[in-house]
Formats: sequence, C-alpha cells, structure tokens
Amino acid sequence: MKITLTVNGKKYEVDVKPNETLLDVLRDKIGIKSVKAGCWRGECGICTVLLDGKPVKSCLVLAAEADGSEIVTVEGLMKDGRLAPLQKAFIEHGAIQCGFCTSAFVLTAHWLLSRNPNVTREEVIEAINGLICRCTGYEQIIEAILAAAKYYKK
Amino acid sequence: MSLILPKFEYYKPSTLDEALELLAKFKGDARILAGGTDLIVDLRSRIKKPKAVIDIKGIKELHKLEYIEGKGLIVGATVTLNELLEHPIVKSKFHVLYDSVRQLADMQLRNRATLVGNICNASPAADSAPALLVLDAKVKAVSKRGERVIEIKDFFKWVKKTALEPDEMVTEVFIPEPPEGSRGKYYKATRNVEDLAIVGVAGLVAHPNEPSKRIVRLAYASVAPTPIRVYEVEELFKRDEPLPKLIDEAVNIVLRKVSPITDVRGSDWYRRHLVDVLTRKLLVELFLEG
Repeated sequence: MKITLTVNGKKYEVDVKPNETLLDVLRDKIGIKSVKAGCWRGECGICTVLLDGKPVKSCLVLAAEADGSEIVTVEGLMKDGRLAPLQKAFIEHGAIQCGFCTSAFVLTAHWLLSRNPNVTREEVIEAINGLICRCTGYEQIIEAILAAAKYYKK
Repeated sequence: MSLILPKFEYYKPSTLDEALELLAKFKGDARILAGGTDLIVDLRSRIKKPKAVIDIKGIKELHKLEYIEGKGLIVGATVTLNELLEHPIVKSKFHVLYDSVRQLADMQLRNRATLVGNICNASPAADSAPALLVLDAKVKAVSKRGERVIEIKDFFKWVKKTALEPDEMVTEVFIPEPPEGSRGKYYKATRNVEDLAIVGVAGLVAHPNEPSKRIVRLAYASVAPTPIRVYEVEELFKRDEPLPKLIDEAVNIVLRKVSPITDVRGSDWYRRHLVDVLTRKLLVELFLEG
C-alpha cells in the first residue's frame, strides 16, 4: 500500500507493507539513520520521533498508521543548516557520550520545552524517564534541557 | 525474537459498522489496533498471530472524551492516556485514575496507548484497572449483534482474557462520578518507570471520620490472575472502631484474597510484603487527607 509522510517538511510517497513499522520505513526506505533501533519493544525509547508534534516510539507504530502524518526527526530541528540552540546545549553540557540515544532525548526535550519553557527539574525527569541512555549521562542531559529552556521563552 | 512483524492484513475502517463487520467476518482472527503499544509487542514476539489488524483510529466517534456533570466521564476507545491526563476534570475529580495513569508506562507510550487498550489487553498488571475497579467503571461492548454494558468487575476473566466475545469490541468506558467527598490514590511498586507493576494498589476513601458514612475501596494489580477489588474489606470500615485496628483487619483480609506469583519482578513473598506495606501506607494517607 502507498502512504504519504511529511518528514522534516519534505513530502514522501512510500510503498509499505502492513507489517512494516514507522521505524523500518524511516531508516530503510527514507534513509534517516538518526532514528535508532534499540529494543524493538517500546522500552528503550531510542527510536523516538515526533509524530504530528508528539514524541512516540516509532518501533510501535505501523507505517500504515502514520499515513498522512507529519514526522520530525532530529535533523528537522536544524534551521538553515545550523544546529538549534537546544542541540548546541547538549554539546555544551556534555550531554552526549556515545550519541546513540541523543536524537531521542533532543526530540523529547524539544516537545517538552515547546509546550512549557518554564519546566522544573522534576518535569524534565518525568518527560525523559522513558528513554534509556546506557552511558548513563542523565545528569548532563537534564542540565542541557534546563539550560536550553530560555531559548523557548518568547 | 524476530524483529520483523508477522504478516497480517491491515484495515482502517472509517465507521464503527465497518469495524464490526470485519470483526464478525474474521471470527476471532482479528485484533483491534488503537495505540498499538501492547499489540505490536505481542505481534513481534508472536504471542498474537491474527490474520487481520483493524486500526480503529479512523473512526471519529471513538475519540470521545466527555464529562457530564453529576453523571461521570466517558472515555472513547481511541482517547490516549496523555489526552486523558490533560483533561482538567480527570485531575480534579478522578484522582485515583489520574494518579494511576500518570504512572502507566512513560510519556512517549502514553502519547499512543489508550485507556480502553489497557483494559482490553487484560494484563494482571494493568495500571488503570485497579482505579477503574474502585470507581465502578462500566465497559460498553459492541458487536453486529448489538451492544451491552459490562461492569468492570466482570470484565477481567483471566490473564489476558476478557469477557468480550470474538466479534465484540469496546467502544467506550464510562466512569461514574466518584462518591461525594472521596479521595483516591494509586501506589505502584516497580523496578523502573516503564516496567510493569510488581504490585499496584488503588484506594478510594470518603468520610473517614464518620463510620456510618465512611467509604473505603481497595483494588490491586499484579497480585492475582486478574486485577482485583477486595470487596470484603468494605463492610468492615463501617464499624465504629479505631482506624488502626480496622486497617490491621483489612490487611489480613486482603492478604487472604491475593494469590501472587513469583516471576522476574518479585517473589510471591515479596509481593505479599508489598501488599501489606502499600495498603497501610495508602489508607493512612487517605484517612489523614480526608
């Protein structure tokens, strides 16, 4: 079956099978490798993308379900080829070690701060506690998100 | 575990009639897809191998989330858990539901997972189930043959088994207005946030200081083949006796009713210990707040 996806502002028409997930299609058919595959069962959260603005685990979404929707991956946060302040904050705070989980954290943080730039530390922890970082750099990730909050204030 | 999902036919009906037609046609060999956070895991691990998957997110009328003052809350089958949490009335009136749904999985999963899906999956560990049990929720089951209302206490039949017939689906859950003056809470013991409950305890208390009007309801996840409400403690709390004594008696009754298993999350003994500790903690807190 044919589905239409808008990924980072660009429209794609893709031929998919019912048993393919959004994760499969983003990585293997559209070629966006920043979306990582981890546990394949919704536990690690590394395959998180924004689906119609909300962070979801793309290993648990069928490609067919995503037909007609808008997807944002971490590349979509860049403006004119430059990193967004949130992405820079991750670098500045050493919130990246191996980098495997980074896209998922950045996308979740973007959603969180877009909704509420006055987040508390507890709210940050609640938003990211479904994501696993095996380098265990959580403290730096929390600091980076809190530091980036000022860029989301009008 | 194979990473590739097994083959199935995918349907996305836009009306309830079409969905019911499909359910009748596949005679139990079809699964309903709402949030997918349980179904896709079970497909991938081959626990479920349906011929057809029926995505109900195209059926507009199922996305109903409506509060009727004095009556209660209607939650449609495609309302996600985060949509439920964002509804102000859930936080202000349905405390125990709000509290349990907040602890259900994690934020990313709650953007997909639905309340109806959580009960239809019928895990003994379903976090929303104890809350719905103490709130006397009613489940609307619909098929081509007609519709019926199933009390939540009669909905769970066994591990992953519900009272639904193969051609039936749940279109909505109705949660009546909680008893006047009541407060509720959910305690969940877990290894980490997104894991299933080792033990979950939901409590609802009203008028703790007036024995004749006092209401106490307790329900549990992960201590029996289905989520359970322990009705046997409810009469007990009408007695005009010191609360610490009644709590002791209630805990003993609950411990006789539960039949926890030993698994990777905890032993039978440990689960019983948690039931004891969490029930006391929950009741004391609800009594003091009241």
